[in-house]
Amino acid sequence: MAWESGVQFMIKKEVVVIGGGPSGMAAAIEAAKRGAEVLVIDANEKAGGQLFKQIHKFFGSSEHGAGVRGIDIGRDLLKEAEELGVEVWLNSVAIGLFAEKQIAVETGTDDAEKIVRVVEGEKIVIACGASENVVRFQGWTLPGIMGAGAAQTMINANRVLPGKKILMVGSGNVGLIVSYQLMQAGADVVALVEAAPNIGGYVVHASKIARAGVPIYTRHTVLEARGEGRVKEAVICEVDGKWQPVPGTEKVIEVDAIAIAAGLKPLAELAIMNGCKTKFDPILGGWAPLHDENMESSCSGIYVVGDVTGVEEANTALEEGRLAGVAIAAALGKITAEEAETEKKKIWDRLDGLRSGPHGEARMKAKDRQLADFRQLSAAEI
Amino acid sequence: MNSFDVVVVGAGAVGTSVAYHLTKKGFEVALVERGDIASGTSSHCDAVALICDKKPGIDTQMGYASIQVFKELAKEFSYDFEFHQPGSLYVCETDQEYEVAADYVKQQQADGYAMRMVDPYEMQEMEPYLAKDLVGGIWTEPDSSMSPYKLCFAFVEEAKKLGLKVFDHHTVQGIKLNEKGSVEGVITDRGTIKTKRVVNCGGPWARELGKMVGLDIPIFPRKGTILISEKTARVCNQKVHEFGYMLSKFEDINFKRNVSELVEKHNVAFNIEPTKADNFLLGGNREYKGFDINTEIEVMRAIAERGIRFFPIISEINMIRAYSGVRPYCEGHLPIVSEVEEIPGYFIAAGHEGDGISLSGITGRMVAQIMAGEETDFDISKLNFSRFKGQTFADDMAE
Repeated sequence: MAWESGVQFMIKKEVVVIGGGPSGMAAAIEAAKRGAEVLVIDANEKAGGQLFKQIHKFFGSSEHGAGVRGIDIGRDLLKEAEELGVEVWLNSVAIGLFAEKQIAVETGTDDAEKIVRVVEGEKIVIACGASENVVRFQGWTLPGIMGAGAAQTMINANRVLPGKKILMVGSGNVGLIVSYQLMQAGADVVALVEAAPNIGGYVVHASKIARAGVPIYTRHTVLEARGEGRVKEAVICEVDGKWQPVPGTEKVIEVDAIAIAAGLKPLAELAIMNGCKTKFDPILGGWAPLHDENMESSCSGIYVVGDVTGVEEANTALEEGRLAGVAIAAALGKITAEEAETEKKKIWDRLDGLRSGPHGEARMKAKDRQLADFRQLSAAEI
Repeated sequence: MNSFDVVVVGAGAVGTSVAYHLTKKGFEVALVERGDIASGTSSHCDAVALICDKKPGIDTQMGYASIQVFKELAKEFSYDFEFHQPGSLYVCETDQEYEVAADYVKQQQADGYAMRMVDPYEMQEMEPYLAKDLVGGIWTEPDSSMSPYKLCFAFVEEAKKLGLKVFDHHTVQGIKLNEKGSVEGVITDRGTIKTKRVVNCGGPWARELGKMVGLDIPIFPRKGTILISEKTARVCNQKVHEFGYMLSKFEDINFKRNVSELVEKHNVAFNIEPTKADNFLLGGNREYKGFDINTEIEVMRAIAERGIRFFPIISEINMIRAYSGVRPYCEGHLPIVSEVEEIPGYFIAAGHEGDGISLSGITGRMVAQIMAGEETDFDISKLNFSRFKGQTFADDMAE
């Protein structure tokens, strides 16, 4: 690892976006479109975040790319950003966010050749997304046990099959969709277990895998993974009303991989490190930074968008990113406040649309609480 | 809340040691802490108890006595605080440093301490990854290391067996005095504790606790930063640090190191120590920044630069975290361990700067001796608060 030489090692940008997934790219595009100088930092070899493993078509309204596959949305975003002159640093990890809005960025894939640069952003957008929750059971660290998202990256982005006989844990949409995609990729999903009495995700996804013959065990959990050097067997069992294993109901299943889809939590470390006020909300996945209607956090000039501020989905992430991009353009004086208001209202209307219906209402309420908490916070400070 | 013989305020290494030693002496003790045990300086520091970095005289005497206390307690306690005695190595960059070091060692040897000079060849044997151009160093056999968190918990857990009561998450808001001006109680946000004796073990916050009774205690927060490496093969076998810094630390010696602008600006001194979990801690610096403990990238960079100068292999190792803490700097570089004449029942045991872990053992023992009316192990009149009589101090410290 090397530092760029000299004491004068500061690079300055008008806008620095941390994370080039849907929310980050949307923020970058909206700000750049209005004349801001934007740098996007992304940890992967390609920007676009989770979109590039979403080979399935999106639901929802045509305005939100229903019927379009995630990878195509990602491709369009990257193209648009490139045309607008957005600078993108790939293989670059933000290793710290310090006072004066300084971000330390480590770039490189080989330890010996990594460099660290410090970038100061007039405005910073934290768009790091979310990380997968784990479920701990005996043997959970054995090779072959992974997050469902990791399994999805392996098949859809890296084209590697994580196993031939896979047990899926969790029946949210991630668990259901990844099960189906694992089957498409040639694996056998030997069972799906869900501790709750009902399936968590959309029925249409569950029906698809049920029709393909995957046994779905609700009120079940994984007790133990067995194997030497790699998982060979999974022990599952029933749980009672208090989520406790029911003795005598154990079943041993032969597996070579276990994928865990137990939800996601916001990757809010950078915001927390910088002192942004956070609040715990189970609907949003845990601790998430509070923000105002512009997606600005309690730290002036630091914006939080997408899953970082509450786990939702790609479309809401895109819209939150756009909101921050427009607000930043206005804050930098690139557009008038009136222009920004008109644009932001349109975005808020679309966000409200996305957060309606049986699956969106709880999130709508949670996001409302978040905004209310932020207002209370600002009132307290005044 | 009840009444106690003594209320100890602050549950860092010094406060927990004082509480333990008092309880052991038979006092009924309450330990009051605003946060959790070891949540302030004692969890934002390094892990060593040294004599090699002390001035000859009382400073070294206390350091050595403290190590003996830890050694005894490590055998006595069922709670393991990871005490071990690997020794420590001071390294010299220049002949000038080496000469001063040799004089210093002679003086310490005359006082009976197991320290000796080592040549570059022996240093390489002890620390194979050390830079090859160093001129020599000091090897100090008694120097020790332990887990600072576990030390605090060990004192608390062992003292609880003897009757200590812990009031964590209780913030002290005032000290109650009677009409004669003696201590009568400690007021917390969750009630008042009756007592005739209070010990201020507030570390960097000791000044605040002094103001509650109108005392001007010259203890100020001094920030230090430490980097933590990833797990690696053994890079160093013991605490290794630069002698040049000790020279620049003591103001009476006119000495300037040959270091970069960045290292000089942030007052960085190289020191490294292995941890039990096969990481290493790389330090450090001292700066006055108030109570701010946010890490700064430029400081981290300066610490890394200085570390690579002494252990070039560090350039190939990832640092996974950095943390800062505030050390209780006391005017004159000696802690305060005494009763306050003007306020009967008010005791201070604070101001150990970077030596709080190191000196916690002996400090607790001495406070217990003072309070029991016994003679202390050695003359500690230099640590008396009365040495600041008639002086006033500004709140803000600046380099």
